[in-house]
Amino acid sequence: MEGIIAIWQRDLLKFFRDKARLFGSFTMPILFLLIFGGGMSGSMETMMAGSMPKGAEGFNYVEFVFPGIVAMTLLMTSIFSAMSVIEDKDFGYMKEIMVSPISRVSIAIGKMLGSATVATIQGVMLFLLIPLLGLSYDVMALIQVIPFMFLLGCALSSLGLLFASLINSTQGFQLTVQILVMPMIFLSGALFPISNMPAWMDFIVKINPVTYGVDVMKKVMVDIENLSAPVLDAMGLNISLFGRQITIFEEVLFIGIFTTILVLLSTVSFKRANA
Amino acid sequence: MESIISVKNLRKSYKNTEAVKGINFEVEEGEIFGFLGPNGAGKSTTINMICTMLKPTSGSIIINDYDVSKDKDAVRGSIGIIFQENTLDEKLTAHENLMLHCRFYKVPKEKREERIQEVLEIVDLVNEQKQRVETFSGGMKRRLEIARGLLHYPKVLFLDEPTVGLDPQTRAHLWEYILRLKEKEGITMFLTTHYLDEAEISDRVAIMDQGEIIAIDSPTALKDQLGGDIIELSTEDNEQALKEINEKVKEAKVTVEEDTIHLKVASSDAFISSFIKTLNIPITRLNIRKPTLNDVFLAFTGRKIGETVKE
Repeated sequence: MEGIIAIWQRDLLKFFRDKARLFGSFTMPILFLLIFGGGMSGSMETMMAGSMPKGAEGFNYVEFVFPGIVAMTLLMTSIFSAMSVIEDKDFGYMKEIMVSPISRVSIAIGKMLGSATVATIQGVMLFLLIPLLGLSYDVMALIQVIPFMFLLGCALSSLGLLFASLINSTQGFQLTVQILVMPMIFLSGALFPISNMPAWMDFIVKINPVTYGVDVMKKVMVDIENLSAPVLDAMGLNISLFGRQITIFEEVLFIGIFTTILVLLSTVSFKRANA
Repeated sequence: MESIISVKNLRKSYKNTEAVKGINFEVEEGEIFGFLGPNGAGKSTTINMICTMLKPTSGSIIINDYDVSKDKDAVRGSIGIIFQENTLDEKLTAHENLMLHCRFYKVPKEKREERIQEVLEIVDLVNEQKQRVETFSGGMKRRLEIARGLLHYPKVLFLDEPTVGLDPQTRAHLWEYILRLKEKEGITMFLTTHYLDEAEISDRVAIMDQGEIIAIDSPTALKDQLGGDIIELSTEDNEQALKEINEKVKEAKVTVEEDTIHLKVASSDAFISSFIKTLNIPITRLNIRKPTLNDVFLAFTGRKIGETVKE
């Protein structure tokens, strides 16, 4: 336990010391918010309205896309924070950790929690943009969504961690992760609704943890009780699996299981690293 | 004396090569054990196996009564390692690096601060502890790493080329610290180095070559085993001199290295006066000395320590 906290705290401490990283990570989401939220919201809404059943006029794209962009930030930060494992390998610090008596699973969990926390902090920092975008979310809802953001951060960090434990160069990691990150964003319903996808794409959507993370975040942040069924449909908030609508609980369960499996795989990878 | 490390039939093979070919040795508690060998001899492989970083193909390693293959965490807790390369977190301060180490090794909370100050004092870094490691010089980093290696009171401290890349003055200082440590704490030290004069401080040295341990004894015993004296000389015409030596001198073993001729004799006192008379070529330089570990190394491996094994 002590080992997990130590590794976690080290990552946080380093995050707060690295001012460039702290603010640099802001640019990408802001860019996306500008493009998707500002620039494209009009056309998106018209596009949707065309294909939408009647009664979906209350669709507000910016309100839809904001949680998606927060989720995207979580995805980016979590996975790229896991790169610290590769940096630690490069700078030798990983050796200090590996020869210590900390259990390998604690190393994996500590690193995963470190990235997830950093990602959550960055995600929450985006909340500052809400008034600028002319949005208004319930403050309680914003507070309630944080644990879910953290959970999604854990899932994505564990994914990044697995890759980082397998790959030895920063370049190799960045390349691999780029290939991974883009589909994970676009096929998650973060930026546009994911209804009516072809079957094979729908399959990717359904195994993508971001899908469920984004969905939970939207369900918590957007006041869905007051939205009509067609709008809900239009926003893609009616994900169904095997012909049945899935609940927040099931989504959380899925993300939890996903995280556990990946952390265990990373642990095995850490163990093998010195076999 | 109890042995703190006991290595039996240790073997490591890779696909095509056998890096370590079934070696045996013991390290006694409280001694400084020098582990020498040319590059590619299997030294690093052996150390990595002892430090739980590499899985042996076969054989057993017992450290501090714990089996390395079964009780990894207990072994890890009993050893401290100073790696050849820097393994500090440069973005953190010296104190933060040490505190993290305490937590990794489960040093009791109430003892942490006290121990940190204690090891910082040993390596003279008390006043610099709040500075980030990136501002430190090479020597300071090394000292900090040694301090860190001591924090959890290891039974054995592994020093893998601890002075590599340091200037001679810093090197000398570092050895002072290390010797002070040995006297104060009685820690067993397992040392590898390329500087054979540094290995002289060892109580015993093992020489490894091509995956096998070819000699193991105290430096004095090894040098005595070699015996006699070494005469180094340069002449105005080495080729001619060599010819003469080979003709007239029977009792010396002759080797040539660059522009110096080495003669190994049982006793230089009796040999030297007659030798000088027999040689017609004028001598430009003459030096008589006792064998060093370098000579021992050369005699056993046929190579100098910096040379890589040629396939």
